[in-house]
Amino acid sequence: MDEEEAFIQKISDAHPGYTSFITHFTTLASTHPPPFIYVTDTNNPRITTSVIDAIFHGVSSIPGAPPTQYAHVNAVACITPRVFYDTVLNVLAGWTPSWKNGCQVWPGDDSQRYNDSIDSFLHGLRRLHLERTTDSSKGKGKGKAVASKSEQDPSMVILIERAERLSESLPELIVPLSRLAELSRINVSVILLSSVSWEDIRPAMGAAPDPYHVDVEPLAKQDVLHRLVSAFRRTSLSESPSDTSHVTYHPALQPLYEQYMETLYNAISIYTNDPIELQYVAAARWPGFVKPVISQYEELVRQAEEEESDPPELEPPATDGRLRLFKFFLPTFTAALDALYPRLDNAADWAAKNEYDAGQRFVTSNCDGLANRVKLASIIKVDHLPRMSKFILITAYMASTNPPKSDLRMFGRGPEERKKRRRKSASPKKTGGAQTIVKVSQRLLGPATFPLDRLLAILGALLEENDYETRPHDPRFELPGEYTDMEVGRIHIYAAITELTLMRALHRTSAMDKLDGPPMFKCGISHDVALALARDLDVPLNDWLWDPA
Amino acid sequence: MPPKRKATDDSATPSRVTRTRQHDDDDDDDELNLRLSPTKLPSTPGPRHGPSRVVMDYIEITTPKTLAHTLRSNTACASPTINGLKLRLPKEPSTPSRQLRLGPASPGKAVQSPSTPSRVRPPLTPRASPSKLQFHPNDVPVTPSKRATRPLSPRKGGGDIIALPTAIKLPGVLPAHLVPCLRLQKRAILGALQSSQSSEVIDDEDHLSTNSTAYTQLHNLLHGTTTRGEGNSCLLLGPRGSGKTSLIEQTIKDLPGEPIVLRLSGHTQHNDRLALREVARQLSQQTGKSFLRDMEEDVNNTEEDPNPFIDPGPTISIPPPSHLPALISVLPTLSRPTVVILDAFDLFAHHARQSLLYCLLDTVQSCKVGQGNNGLAVVGITTRIDTINLLEKRVKSRFSGRMIRTAPPSDLLSWINISRRLLNTPVDGSSEWGTLWTFAVYTFLEDRKVVDTIRDTFALTRDIRMLKQLLTAIVTNLRTTSPFPTASHISAAVSTQRLRQKFSNLQALSYPSICLLVAAMHAHSAGHDVITFEMLYDAFREEFRASSAAPIQIEGGSIGMARCSREVLMRSFEELVGAHMLTSVVAPSPNVAPEFVRYRCLVERGAVKQAVTAMGQTNVKKWLNKAS
Repeated sequence: MDEEEAFIQKISDAHPGYTSFITHFTTLASTHPPPFIYVTDTNNPRITTSVIDAIFHGVSSIPGAPPTQYAHVNAVACITPRVFYDTVLNVLAGWTPSWKNGCQVWPGDDSQRYNDSIDSFLHGLRRLHLERTTDSSKGKGKGKAVASKSEQDPSMVILIERAERLSESLPELIVPLSRLAELSRINVSVILLSSVSWEDIRPAMGAAPDPYHVDVEPLAKQDVLHRLVSAFRRTSLSESPSDTSHVTYHPALQPLYEQYMETLYNAISIYTNDPIELQYVAAARWPGFVKPVISQYEELVRQAEEEESDPPELEPPATDGRLRLFKFFLPTFTAALDALYPRLDNAADWAAKNEYDAGQRFVTSNCDGLANRVKLASIIKVDHLPRMSKFILITAYMASTNPPKSDLRMFGRGPEERKKRRRKSASPKKTGGAQTIVKVSQRLLGPATFPLDRLLAILGALLEENDYETRPHDPRFELPGEYTDMEVGRIHIYAAITELTLMRALHRTSAMDKLDGPPMFKCGISHDVALALARDLDVPLNDWLWDPA
Repeated sequence: MPPKRKATDDSATPSRVTRTRQHDDDDDDDELNLRLSPTKLPSTPGPRHGPSRVVMDYIEITTPKTLAHTLRSNTACASPTINGLKLRLPKEPSTPSRQLRLGPASPGKAVQSPSTPSRVRPPLTPRASPSKLQFHPNDVPVTPSKRATRPLSPRKGGGDIIALPTAIKLPGVLPAHLVPCLRLQKRAILGALQSSQSSEVIDDEDHLSTNSTAYTQLHNLLHGTTTRGEGNSCLLLGPRGSGKTSLIEQTIKDLPGEPIVLRLSGHTQHNDRLALREVARQLSQQTGKSFLRDMEEDVNNTEEDPNPFIDPGPTISIPPPSHLPALISVLPTLSRPTVVILDAFDLFAHHARQSLLYCLLDTVQSCKVGQGNNGLAVVGITTRIDTINLLEKRVKSRFSGRMIRTAPPSDLLSWINISRRLLNTPVDGSSEWGTLWTFAVYTFLEDRKVVDTIRDTFALTRDIRMLKQLLTAIVTNLRTTSPFPTASHISAAVSTQRLRQKFSNLQALSYPSICLLVAAMHAHSAGHDVITFEMLYDAFREEFRASSAAPIQIEGGSIGMARCSREVLMRSFEELVGAHMLTSVVAPSPNVAPEFVRYRCLVERGAVKQAVTAMGQTNVKKWLNKAS
């Protein structure tokens, strides 16, 4: 086995499942990397980044490989071109800004600035290259350097992670980067690593040459498990074994962890296959999962102390104990995913909330806790609102979801029978004639805008139906609806609408300074919140909706 | 027989290849001759090797005399170029076969070659492996068992002698002692692939006609500038990857003296002021003088920027536009002649008022011989055919209108020759390896599938860089377990480099993402191209309810669809958006909640179907196939 194979083997051990990618990339890196490489990885680009890092940091040790300077930039961090230039040049030059020199960026050896434009950046690269070639020829002796010049020509490699962000933050840099070797006339490779395909960020007009494509295969189950278990091993090694408080990651528990990881993988891998996400969920669940084992062990230790014998070794539980553990904890795996994968909670808090406390209560309370929590949250959010604001919000929800033409039919009261009939007879012809696409419910398309007048009209109808009885009798109002009309016209209704707009429970879509026409609004609350509000006010919301869910 | 097919395919082109059985000189004047010398039957006993095996000694390809003639007439009118060409040739490492051709088979050709620069092997070739220079087919040390056949030249190519052994069995797995050889070979080929741009300019026979003419013209032009102080302007026009940049670099390298070379690119200099700054910088680098002295005060003024992130724009010390004419008019007065190369010339034409082009071309026009000035040449490089129409009238009238064209190789044969030459990049290694490798490359390029794949690629793009990408992918993927290129290698390379699927990793998507895609498919077939998360979620919920309505359980587990909370689906939805499988239809607005933002799904139904099949969940499959 020679050095290149040993090198590949070493990195493959650290990153299982990447062997073919590592071999491919090491071949490229140790010979003549193409000037522009595009790595597409839709699954776990973060891991691929670390693989490429490992390859390029070690590639110079392979005999025959060119001396390589390697810079790794994250496109998310490069908010301006200047940040990008400075980062790359600092890393390539091995320059660390320090407080002493005023956090200065790499100065070169003249007073020129290398970060103000792409031209200066290219000059900076050339200067670096020049320094490097003179250094290496001095170090190795003239004759040898000349003889193997093509072999020993130092190369630079710039890896740009999350390259899809370049098209948003630095779109003008993509073309120069793709032609960097040609523009700078030195041996430099640019590697873009992204989860989207090159076609999505390729500049128009074919200005950038096509890259050399490298694809990364998704990881297989065994590789993911291997990676996660080795992470456990690393944790257990880094924790001091003597410290009993950190017995959670004791090396003796590794067989149990392997089994735990496999069960966890089987339970939640259909939702996500990303090792990092899996590890996050696993880390949140593990302390609770292993707690029964540890408490049993602590009991044993205490007994041993009482009997003054040697404390026993920590052992993973026997098969039936394990089975009971898994049976007990299996439902919580998906619960953990539901809470942690969308980051509704963080791992530490979730682990604290779901600690094991011997009893069935734990399992039952947690089974559909999520659905309850959403309802709870919505109720808590609306509870502090005044009664009239709740009516306004329900009205706004109706106005946003019901089509305007349906208002009269939904809310109109009185002798309207004739009109209705005519409309009914007219409508079937229309719909029958054109077999159009089924309309999607407005509830799914999102709230529509409505004018303030419509809101007030519907609010009047709603109040007349649901609020009239609660009001004290006032003899001044004789006509039906007159009282409600007065209520709706009160100034506090307008104030409440403005207040709700400021709370973003209503969205005002027309400009504040617009004078003509009524102001337009849009409902800002979700269906669940509207339902909760309606329940609170005893309004049968579904009866008032054109297209109830 | 493959050689015959090629010959008939390309009979119309000047580089016609014929295969003859005779060994004597019967070449036509206008043909490229490929000779197959007769088999020495007694030395290779037929029965042992089997009757179906192709028994060939070597194939010889020689240059037709006419081509040599045209070349000579081309170069004759420009006597300095011959010099340049001769100087240039030795630097090309990847044309090894030229040195081999002076075999005993065609002694007549050796006489004519001194006048054809591309065929001559200069005496002073610096080579890494001098022992191979005198390589003669008869001198190859071979293993005794193979001595019967004519030995094999380790290096052949678009070149002259291809000698092939008849019976070599390629090992499936490489023996341990050859592993370093494979590595060396890979390294050599990858090196040649990265650096061989310049060699191809003159190397390939058919390519020769266009690009060598371009070279001659360009060289004459620039030579006039450098030696006689002319002011010249021209446009170098050609499709992508046809060797424009390497041609100009090559020409400049061959120019006598050291002209000042200013390289500008429309991709980096987006406006005239940036270009001007770059001109000043490159000038001061090459002459040691500062040209924008008065502007350095501006630099000092703008240096005191309190917040470096607030706006990087003003901190760039851009010279004011008034300096432009002054600086450009300095160019002819410099101590050496100047060559200005404008890459992406068409982009310079989009600059405001085209003032840089105007100044440059005006200076070129007024730069006349005999005024004591040094010459100035402006070379524009572009792929756009109508570039000259982009120029304003006043600019166009100052431009000479000279256009020099480059072209990529125009037939399949030259592509195959280029592949053969690149793959046969010589290495210092054991002769055993050389024999094996040459034979492997030969069989590889004779494989019908390989030729078909190369033909397909050639039919789609004439860009030689695509071929190089394919070759890079092939060579990089050679392993000790499959050490020689095969048809499967090239098809794998094509699928990663050329025929890229839009969404390759759809199979690896998680269950929620697939569900969302299926829902999007249903929305699409219902006529709703534009979707919101809420629509997809509603569809999923409906389907989930329907599938879990029947409380059937098999072995304790429900056979309904797996549960998926709204938040998990939302997260998956965001991932789909991040992977550009869903694209936003309207611009994002703070007034629209994320679940109501409208998207359009870019994934095709067929791809989703494949992914669903690969995932193997019957419920989802059923859902996808359900009529909506």
